Formats: sequence, structure tokens, C-alpha cells
Amino acid sequence: MNNPHHMNPRSLKSRFTTRFLRALTKIRAQKPISSSSPTEIFRRYRKIKVAADKSMAYSVRSRKTWSRAMLWKLRSRSHRRRPVKTKFRQSVMKNTKTTTTTGEDGVGFGVEASELRELVPGGEAMDLCNLLDETAHYIKCLTTQVQVMKKIADFYSL
Amino acid sequence: MDDIGENHEHELENRNENSINCQAPVMSSDWQFGGANLTSGGMSLVPSDNPLAIGSSCASVADSFGSNIWEHPSNSQNLGFCGFNVQHGGSSSNAVGIGRGTLTTLRSSIDRPFDMGWNAASSTLKGGFLLPNTNRILPQSLSQLPDDSAFIERAARFSSFIGGNFSDMVSPLGMPESVGLYTRGVGLMPVHEYVFSANEMKSVSSVESQKSKLNVAEATRDACLQVENRAKESPLRKDGRSGSLVPANEETKQGTGGSGNESDEPEFSGREGGQDEPSSLDGTGGEPSTKGLSAKKRKRSLQDAEIDQAKRGQTPTEAAKDGAENQQKGDQKQATSANKNTGKKVSPASHPPKEEYIHVRARRGQATNNHSLAERVRREKISERMNFLQDLVPGCNKVTGKAVMLDEIINYVQSLQRQVEFLSMKLATVNPRLDFNIEGLLAKDIIQSRAGPSSTLGFSPDLSVGYASLHLSQPGLVQAALPVTGNNADVIPRSLSSQLTSMTGGLKEPNQLLNSWEDELHNVVQMNYGTSAPFNSLNVYFTLLLISYLMGQMSSDLIKIYLMLFAGP
Repeated sequence: MNNPHHMNPRSLKSRFTTRFLRALTKIRAQKPISSSSPTEIFRRYRKIKVAADKSMAYSVRSRKTWSRAMLWKLRSRSHRRRPVKTKFRQSVMKNTKTTTTTGEDGVGFGVEASELRELVPGGEAMDLCNLLDETAHYIKCLTTQVQVMKKIADFYSL
Repeated sequence: MDDIGENHEHELENRNENSINCQAPVMSSDWQFGGANLTSGGMSLVPSDNPLAIGSSCASVADSFGSNIWEHPSNSQNLGFCGFNVQHGGSSSNAVGIGRGTLTTLRSSIDRPFDMGWNAASSTLKGGFLLPNTNRILPQSLSQLPDDSAFIERAARFSSFIGGNFSDMVSPLGMPESVGLYTRGVGLMPVHEYVFSANEMKSVSSVESQKSKLNVAEATRDACLQVENRAKESPLRKDGRSGSLVPANEETKQGTGGSGNESDEPEFSGREGGQDEPSSLDGTGGEPSTKGLSAKKRKRSLQDAEIDQAKRGQTPTEAAKDGAENQQKGDQKQATSANKNTGKKVSPASHPPKEEYIHVRARRGQATNNHSLAERVRREKISERMNFLQDLVPGCNKVTGKAVMLDEIINYVQSLQRQVEFLSMKLATVNPRLDFNIEGLLAKDIIQSRAGPSSTLGFSPDLSVGYASLHLSQPGLVQAALPVTGNNADVIPRSLSSQLTSMTGGLKEPNQLLNSWEDELHNVVQMNYGTSAPFNSLNVYFTLLLISYLMGQMSSDLIKIYLMLFAGP
């Protein structure tokens, strides 16, 4: 197919796409998709979701706080395989939370900021300024992810 | 002459105080700090020393000057530099005694025409300015000294380095490279700001010459401080920042540039014309100038910034650019704070509270204690980032107010996350029609194509649809959605209706809505019954919508809206 646009092999989109497709094929290769039992599909859905998040976080590496937090979460989850309370992490988060988010810096963002912190991975440990930075990058990565996954889904469902 | 000298000393002292006050907190940081931080660090060290010792060290440095290539008859000028420094350091009588005589000579040299080949001088100044710092750097830089007149101009510029580069001569002799790099970077800055201040002097018609000189010094000082900010900021921006932040800078340009830098820039570049490349200024001056307004507190980046700036070969251009911003800043500051034109003498005590080590100057009529300044800086940063986010989030242009914006952002992030979940769910259920070898081609296709229109109705650009909906992560939802994935389209309405009726019992919602849902779903499914795709995104989406509503995730209003959207034409 002729494409006038230049393909940047190192763009976020391409990195994510290659990683995600690789993971997808791996997941598909594990079990045949003909079986449509609910539990299996659910499991596959979880795997694919994790693969998507993981590939996105790996594409960003450790350049961003949210990707680091996401990778940390994924790794701890895969290592322990059970909902671990991770007291250490919680205490760390609490400490950082108290130091960085005590009071407001005169801007009055309290409620929304805390919501945003929950949404963005690793957002609890950031002050508002960095939080907004991370949010911007996170939004950009999420839109890329959605685009790519949409294309894949369209490709397969047509 | 003496008056001039007095005023100059006064300025020096003030500036010394200011920079010391400003940068005392930064004292402990690395020497590789660019800018006045370093110098004031040196300066604050200086007072504790014996001023005579300072003088002797100055003399030794000056001797190293004289002993090498500086065959100019201006050893007195060398001492004059040291004299400045000593004045900085101690503001003691000894220092004053040393400095005063040379001050006058320097003043006279300063008063010579500024327009004498600044370009050449600036490039040589780079070399020349390194001299005070290390003997190591001397040979390479001294070779650039062309002739006497150029040196005198350099001396003139040296006198304008009141912001404290002189302290480099004295204190960080043990820090050759970093200081050298720093001075190479910083050294150029005061040159051009001095140039601009000279222009400013011409343009400021209503100000006396003396006051204008004070303004020059003041602008010089401010420029010094701010230039370093920009020095920090511009390489910082260019360095390790992600692409998302670069637009933030552009945003800053528009957002905070309204403070007047933008307006100053064109006229400034006009003034610049005779001296440096104005074209480069136009292009690049805007970016750092607005950054200068929002001073940053990045220590590590300062080091990198200085080193980068030093390593860049475009230092004349950059210095010109920085100087341009300084000029603008100086203009703006003086335009906005009229009292400052006369305020040098009037309120020297007001400067320390107005300045902190991130070099933010209080605007007229604003509170000037350090806390409010820091808060102002933070607020500016945050608003800059909010502007950038506004561009990212679609449909936020009309929204004003930070809280509403933040709500929109939160909704958008939530919707994106849900879309990801939904798509992964879809991918989990879809049949791979193609061979796995095609994955590579698929990848290429995806990467190369832009974000084209999606064929799935569920993701038509109306993102508000996605906002309110699905919590697919709940197993109950998935279980409920599974019947849809079967290949038999006629199974769907039956299973769904059965589920609906089963779920109806536990809900408080009005039944007529559920009935209407059922009917709509029937219609929709029958509409799509003829399609070849066994797995229709519309079906899935609609079903999941319904289910999430049943689970109490959505309000009835939204459901009605979605009904309109999907079951409509």
C-alpha cells in the first residue's frame, strides 16, 4: 500500500503497536478462540488488557512517573498473583501524599486533583504541577493505545 | 566621575546584597550551577574572607592576565575587575579604595560608543571572559584577543557584569571547568544586555542619564538573573523533555507571553538589527522570553543547561537572544513598575524581598514576600499546563475555569481508560480471521496510517458517549455480555431479555424504561441481523451500555441520550 507519510519506527505508536501485536499473538496462540465460555473469554480479556497496559508502559520506559508506577504495579501483580496489600507501598504513598499534597497551593484544586491522582497511575505521589504533566502524557499515550487497538479490532472484525 | 563611581558602587553593593539574599539558599548546591547562583555563592563566600586576601587573589589572577597575552596597558583595568569583585565581596573600605580609581577608568571606557563592533567583541569576550577563572583556559581564549580597542570594549562589558560574574574570579578557582563553562555561557549574556541597556538608555528619553545608568545596571542585573533562567530553561526544554511538554512551552508563549514580551519582541528585534541577527531572535526569542517569566526551580537542569549552553556553538546568537529577552524583560519591568526607574536609590531595601533565588520579580502592586512569589510561580506553571491540557482534551476550548477543566480532564481520562478496556474485551472475543503472518503487515498498516475514522459506531467522535459508560472490569458485566458474542444473532435478544427480566427485580428504576430498552435492543439487533459480522460492535456496545445501566452505573438520563444516539437514524 502506498503511503506518503513517513513511518517513524521509534514513535510511541509504532513501539506500542509492535509490542502489543506480539503479545496478542502470544495470547492467541495459547488457546484457540473457538471456545466461547465466559470464563475463558474473561480471562483472555484480562490478559489482553494487561498486555495493552504493559506494552504501553514499556514503550514509555521509565521516562514518566506514570509508566514507572504502572510497570511496578504490573510486576508486583504478576509476581505475587494475589491482591497483596503492599504495606510498604501504601506507607510510602501515604508519606508522600502528606508531604506533597498537604494543603493547597492557593489554587483550590483539592477534590478534582485527588480524583485525577486516582486515575493516573502513580499519581498519588506527585504534586499538582507534575501531576498535570503526567496527565498530559498519559492522555497522549491512552489516545495512541485506543487508536491502535481500534484498528486492530476493526481489522479482525471485518 | 566620583558620583558615578559612588552610584556604581552603591549598585554593586545592592546587587551584591540582592544576589546574596537571593542565592543563599542555593549556596550548598553544585558549583556547576549556571548563572548568578554560582556567582552569588561566590560572593557570599567572599565577605567572610579577608578583603585583602581577596584583593591579593584578584591581583594574582590579574597578574596571570598580564603575564600572558594581555599586553595592553590596562592592568589597571584588570585590577578594576578585581576591584569590582572586591567591592562585591566585602563592600569594605579597602575594596572601595581599590576599586574606585579603576571604576572611573572603566566608566570612561564604558561610555565609549557601544556600537563598536559588538559582534566581534562578543565573540572575543567569550574567550576573554574566561580569563579570570582559570589559567588553563587562558591560553586558548587569550589567543582570540585581537587588539586594544576590542579589549577595552571587553573591559567595558566586564564592568557591566555586576550580577556577579566577578566572583568567579575569586572564589571558584578550584572549579575551573564548571565555572569556565558557566562563564562562557553567562559571559555573553551581560554583554548583550549591556548593549540593550545602552539602547534603552537612548530610548528612555524621560530619564536622566544617571538614572538610566542605574537602570542599565538594574536591567543588567535582572537580565543576568533572568538570562540564566532562560539558559536553564531553553536547554532544559530542548533536552530530556517529552514531546508533550514542548507544546507546553509553546502554550506558555501564548499564555504567559501576554505579559508584554511578545509585544516587545518586534521592536526589540528592530533595535537589535545593527548588532546581531534579528531573525534568529524572532524565531527563538519568544520561547525563552516567556520562560523567563515563569522561573523554574530545577537545580540539576541548571547544570545541564549551563553545560549545554556552553557547548553550543551558537553562543553569540543565543546570547543575543537572551539579551533580547533581557531587554524585553527590562523594558517590561520598567514599563510596569514606573517607580523602579527612580527606585534604585529610593528603595534599595525593597529589592531583597522582591527577589528570591528563582529570580522572579514581583510585579507592581503585588505582594512581595517570598511565599507569594513562589505561589505565583506555581500558579503560572499550573496554568500553563492547564492550557496545554486544554488542547489535548477535545471540546475544552469553551470551558473556562480550572475546576471545570479538571473535571473535563478527569472525564476524558476515564473514558479513554474505559475505551481501552472495551477494546481489549472486543479483541478477546473477536475471531482472528487472518493468519498470524499478517501481523507484521497489520502492524505496518497501523503505524503508517493516521487516526482514520473508525468503523465502529461505538467510537464515533462523540466521546461523551464513552464518558459515562462502561465498567467492563466487573465480571458480572462480562458474564452478561457474553451471550452477545455468540454467532447466532437471534440468540441475543432472547438472552438479553431474559437477563433483563431477571435483573429487573432488584432494581429501583422504572420498568417502562427497561421495556423501552428491550424494544430498542430488539430493533437494533434486527437491523444488524443481516450483517456478515458475527460480532457486531454495535450490539456489544449497546448491550454493555444496557448492562452497565442495569448495574446502576449510569443515570437514566444518559441512557435516554444513548438510546437516541444509537437507535436513531
